[in-house]
Amino acid sequence: MSAPVIYLESPQGDEIKEVQATAAILTPYLAAGWHQVPPPSSPAKPVAALKEAK
Amino acid sequence: MANINELMDGWSYGQQTNIITPNTTAIWRHTNLNTKPWAKVPVNEDDRAEVGKGHEFPTQLFKSHYNMPTYEISKYCSSEFLAWVMAFSLGNVTVAGSASPYSYIVVPALGATNPTGLELPYFSFVQQIRPGGSAVLDEILVGCAIKGWKLAIKNSPGRSSATCSCECVATGQYTTPSGVTLPAVATTHEFNASMVSALTINGINYLTGGSGKQFVSLDASWENNFRPGFFPGSGAQDGYQIQGRFEWGDRSFAVQFVVRVQSGSLEYTNLINQTTGPATITFTRDANNSFSMAIQKMAFATAELSNTDGIATMQVTGTQLYDPTNGLVTMSITTPQSGICQAAA
Repeated sequence: MSAPVIYLESPQGDEIKEVQATAAILTPYLAAGWHQVPPPSSPAKPVAALKEAK
Repeated sequence: MANINELMDGWSYGQQTNIITPNTTAIWRHTNLNTKPWAKVPVNEDDRAEVGKGHEFPTQLFKSHYNMPTYEISKYCSSEFLAWVMAFSLGNVTVAGSASPYSYIVVPALGATNPTGLELPYFSFVQQIRPGGSAVLDEILVGCAIKGWKLAIKNSPGRSSATCSCECVATGQYTTPSGVTLPAVATTHEFNASMVSALTINGINYLTGGSGKQFVSLDASWENNFRPGFFPGSGAQDGYQIQGRFEWGDRSFAVQFVVRVQSGSLEYTNLINQTTGPATITFTRDANNSFSMAIQKMAFATAELSNTDGIATMQVTGTQLYDPTNGLVTMSITTPQSGICQAAA
């Protein structure tokens, strides 16, 4: 079974990534200051596009 | 008059929205090996040092501040408690899973990128003795934070072979009566030392191979070194100043462990060669309850020969190095408890 995914926001707040929630994958992001955010409301659209539309 | 056994402790597993707003919904109740209640110490000052009174004696009292002592929550290790301690003490928390069990990954927050700067998540603490119309004690302390913790794994039987205690601080803000009805004592899924399923430090596997069965004990600790939180506008309670923030200072992460000495022991070699490597200790109770502490890069600062209960041992003090890619340490916890360190909905 694959790990669930969560959403991380960059330290600058300009990017959101969907990543698998394993320690090996999350650790470099969290160590660099990324933090978890709620899932985007419409995951069908690319997250970057959602942010640009705001 | 009340027996101290009547003391009930509860605290929020969810975080407060800010330091002054209690979280009264996501609260659990736990037992505590520390049998004392959390004291509140309002401090008065007087005018004895001021001249002009005609004598050296004090004539007047003034309200100063709430000097809140640190408070220890001490428990046997469980997936729930370790998730809570690590999340509130380190700060950068992720949670995954839409149903039990939930997976928490926690690393120390960085001041430069933490959304709340140098401040960690805050929780609320409830203590009660005979709550109700004639309560002996019923209050909620608001704006609590974890100052540090100690994790101990011992060469002994029972639950005391794996314990965790955390030191908590509070601003001095409180409400009484608390207005909280504490739930039943939470069911925790505890670990003991026999559940250690991975134990490798700096290239030495202490569960299998030549170093198997040689591990004696481990002590790890974290300290946030909070700076005093009094400042203009920090707030007041009952006319006494309270603290309005807890900002971490120079944080420290210490690890010591003891192993039996045998022919070809590698600890001293690693020390002399300044070998570095990851260190991982994992507890696995079942598929729903586990805890793993992954130190990204550990070196040995000292390795001293010693005697533990008549056995020749070596006490090793680690130096936990910050890895540019993976940081200092990653805590991974799987637990049935949802919402730990999460914001109120």
